[in-house]
Amino acid sequence: MTLVEALIGLAVLLAATVAAGFVVRWNQGRAHHHVPHEVVQPARLGADGLGDVATLLQFSTELCSRCPGVHRTLSAVADARPGVRHLDVDLTHRPDIAKHFHVLQTPTTLILDRNGIVQTRFGGVPRRDVIEMELARLSGAETDPQPEAEPERV
Amino acid sequence: MSDRPTAPAGIDPRGPRFAASITAFLLAVAVILGLTGLSTSRSFGWFAYQPLSNSTFPGDRAWDITIASLAERIADPAFLLLLVIALLFVWGVAWPRTAPWGVLFRRVVRPRLKPPTDLEDARPPRFAQGVGLFVVTIGLVLHLFGVPWALPISAAAAFIAAFLNAVFGLCLGCQLYLVLQRAGVVGRARPAV
Repeated sequence: MTLVEALIGLAVLLAATVAAGFVVRWNQGRAHHHVPHEVVQPARLGADGLGDVATLLQFSTELCSRCPGVHRTLSAVADARPGVRHLDVDLTHRPDIAKHFHVLQTPTTLILDRNGIVQTRFGGVPRRDVIEMELARLSGAETDPQPEAEPERV
Repeated sequence: MSDRPTAPAGIDPRGPRFAASITAFLLAVAVILGLTGLSTSRSFGWFAYQPLSNSTFPGDRAWDITIASLAERIADPAFLLLLVIALLFVWGVAWPRTAPWGVLFRRVVRPRLKPPTDLEDARPPRFAQGVGLFVVTIGLVLHLFGVPWALPISAAAAFIAAFLNAVFGLCLGCQLYLVLQRAGVVGRARPAV
């Protein structure tokens, strides 16, 4: 193979990698609403309870470089809002939980409503403003009852 | 519950990304050398012109690497560079504090940057070095056994991981760890409390 052909090969590889990086980054900040709306039992996660208004349920592992940063962000969000609780579950020694929630990347964050029902899911690093928006939607739902069906189509 | 036990000692998260950018550059060079070198070259082998050759049709070209000697496979520049990269991975896994790019970052780069806003666990980058070592080693071994394309493909795979880490801060190692854990390869299930 000539040098020119090899450089073209490297350019293709580089372009594909950059594209993949942008796709992953774009996908990570997004809120996914089409998730199984199951009820989470806090005892199964080793927690004593859930938040009164909402719960930010974060899944981490020991070998996760971006989990501590997300932990700080979610803690700050939860502290700023009464009734919102932040739970961080370490999956390193709990593959059963990882399997149950189909966690294939950490951090993964679930937003639970007042009844412990999974409403939103984030894979990767969630954007803070999106989290705030989701929480506002959940706390707004109690005063202004919305139709059952979610008009979300992201 | 909200207070997870934090790692004993944190490192500047920009250090591993700096190291990953140098590694990505070296791997890109290795891809170029691999694509232009012995690994992918084909020539009209002298035996291909023989009537009793094992080629299926006239003009079939043999991979040079399959007929090259072991010494020739080792002397391939792409192999040597990837071997150096593999040894750097070994260094990063075994003695992360003295690994050359980390030392370069602490001595030269970090004094010119603002202090880090937060520190991160040193174990994930170390695990990622191990993943890189694994991928690169596969390519090196297959190359020694005379498998064409093994070297540039493994270098390209490692390049993708290093580049995503350097530019996007994506940790493929973490995700792989979870996949392995779900497969039951690493991490032991603790009885549910």
